[in-house]
Amino acid sequence: MKAAPTLPTAFLHATGQSLPAPLLALRQEAGTALVDMPLPTRKTENWKYSSRHLSLTDGMALSLPAEGKTGTSLAVPGYKVAFLNGVMLPEASDYPDLKGIHITSFDDLSEDEARRLAGQLDSTLDASAVQMSRLNTARFEDGLLIRLAPDAVLDQPLFIVHEVSADASGSAFPRIFVDAGRNSRITLVEEYISQGDAPVMVNTVTEFLLADGAQVTSVRLNMEGEAVQHIGATGVRQQRSSRFESHCVGFGGHLRRHDLRVRLEGEGAECSLNGVVVTQGKQHYDNHTNIEHVAPHCTSDETYRNIAADKSHAVFNGRIHIHQDAQKSSADMSNKNLLLSTGAEIDTKPELEIYADDVKCAHGATIGQLDKTSLFYLVSRGIGRREANVLLTMAFINELVDRIPVGSVRDTTQARLNQFFDQTFEEA
Amino acid sequence: MLSIKNLHASVEGKEILKGINLEIKAGEVHAIMGPNGSGKSTLSQVLAGNDAFEVTEGEITLNGDNLLELETEERAREGIFLAFQYPVEIPGVSNLQFLRTAVNAMRKHHGQDEMNAAEFMKLAKEVSKQVDLDPAFLKRGVNEGFSGGEKKRNEIMQALLLQPKLAILDETDSGLDIDALKVVADGVNALRAQDRAILMVTHYQRLLDHIVPDYVHVLANGQIIKSGGRELALELEEKGYGWLGIRDESTADSGAN
Repeated sequence: MKAAPTLPTAFLHATGQSLPAPLLALRQEAGTALVDMPLPTRKTENWKYSSRHLSLTDGMALSLPAEGKTGTSLAVPGYKVAFLNGVMLPEASDYPDLKGIHITSFDDLSEDEARRLAGQLDSTLDASAVQMSRLNTARFEDGLLIRLAPDAVLDQPLFIVHEVSADASGSAFPRIFVDAGRNSRITLVEEYISQGDAPVMVNTVTEFLLADGAQVTSVRLNMEGEAVQHIGATGVRQQRSSRFESHCVGFGGHLRRHDLRVRLEGEGAECSLNGVVVTQGKQHYDNHTNIEHVAPHCTSDETYRNIAADKSHAVFNGRIHIHQDAQKSSADMSNKNLLLSTGAEIDTKPELEIYADDVKCAHGATIGQLDKTSLFYLVSRGIGRREANVLLTMAFINELVDRIPVGSVRDTTQARLNQFFDQTFEEA
Repeated sequence: MLSIKNLHASVEGKEILKGINLEIKAGEVHAIMGPNGSGKSTLSQVLAGNDAFEVTEGEITLNGDNLLELETEERAREGIFLAFQYPVEIPGVSNLQFLRTAVNAMRKHHGQDEMNAAEFMKLAKEVSKQVDLDPAFLKRGVNEGFSGGEKKRNEIMQALLLQPKLAILDETDSGLDIDALKVVADGVNALRAQDRAILMVTHYQRLLDHIVPDYVHVLANGQIIKSGGRELALELEEKGYGWLGIRDESTADSGAN
């Protein structure tokens, strides 16, 4: 039997030695474990639709240089931390020094802080389930640590803009760690963008720890160029009565993969996961979500919508695992999918594993096309075909776009959607 | 205004209209009556341009222009309006957004400035009162969760906003109680004008008590077999379709017309 392929050895050489020693040690340990990590293949269940889009060549293994031209300096209505190719750009960042809110790049951490962080990194993600997150741990060159003291409240959204800019292929490894103390509150926007047409990989890991009563809103906006393979993972652990709300808005590319894993570990914890994915051309987008109801009396609510045009391919895999002791769990998952062309493909799989007997659990998945009767009704009022198609497509995702709690993200999303409509729907 | 000559149309290969001839002049109100399955709704859909129906023979002109060459939206902009028998629910598109988009598409076509949201809101509120529809309905999804009567009133509201040359009312009376019927009839009567024609398609004559037609036609088996004045409707009411030797297929294939 042929052995499963492993990572090219070039991937095992980490650069950026300026990190504090405890983080360098963690990285090295993760690198060692990578040596014989089998790569996802078509036979790997959670990568079966996406493994063929993975391109892990020696060229891809190079770290993208931490300097280069940055594109538009995005004006954001809030605080901002800018990263270029995985390394923080202090001169392009603007965030306050507020009592109880500690925002620091990994590079600037004291030895003690770094030791504490090293003990926490990867604690939200099961590396056997999210293989590619290990690569990030072996290779990150910088990162952002956000610690919120108990009761601390960040008064405006914090934008973390991760830009990759490259003339040649290579990889960047953005990393974010958020430790939200008791009853603290924060809204965080991760925005992923790119410059240049070189085929690059962006391999991200974002982790959230929510102590009792913490409220975290996470917005993730994937806007990178066509040639980017984005392989991202987000891990969340929630304690008693905490609330985590996420809004993932993604536009497709060569490969987009996001694993979102939430563990409800304290009674009364709540999560609400929302996602909108739009693909066109030959793009590929794969969302895997996993919600673990570990403690009783927790609530999860999940709504994902995919829109696939042309010959693109979208995948949704939503798993809900209700543990034996998680009585009185309430879980609701909805995934609806819209095919805008006969050449497009969408695969959806709800996975429910329920081991408790007193739970409320609902799920639904649909795949369909724009309704012909609705379309006829609209055009019979003089509305043009293009406009009618746009109205009906927006109707499919309106609710989710409106729910994004940051106005500028809604605007960015709508502008990108309009571009998509221009490319997808012709005037009759 | 509207001229239909020897119109034949089929759906999925089955011929439904078998040679319709009809002339409608501006200012006139025509009623087409007939049993279920006679082709009444097919005629409405063909006029509006539903491409599920194939016109195999004949011609339709609107003020001399060949209607069959126009797409549905172009027909609408030229003044054809169809009030649907079953108005479509479109959750996620607000009624207000839908109505404004339609009105502005029409205005743009006629070289008029588009209406902004505030201007349109004012107009929409006025017209919604005219059909006794709570303006709160403007904020809801198109026909979403509307009762049968509310849907029909929403159709008439659209006609009042779009000011068509030819309004086709497909079974607008079906499913209405007497009060709702009165409101709808008042809306339709408000549409009556010198430069506008109205074509009512109905199974029963009760709507014609409220909207008095100039002409009544009886459609059976895809053809107009009798035409007359309003007294023809009363005669039909009294004697039934059997009087004209037509079998009423309402129980045989209701909903398929």
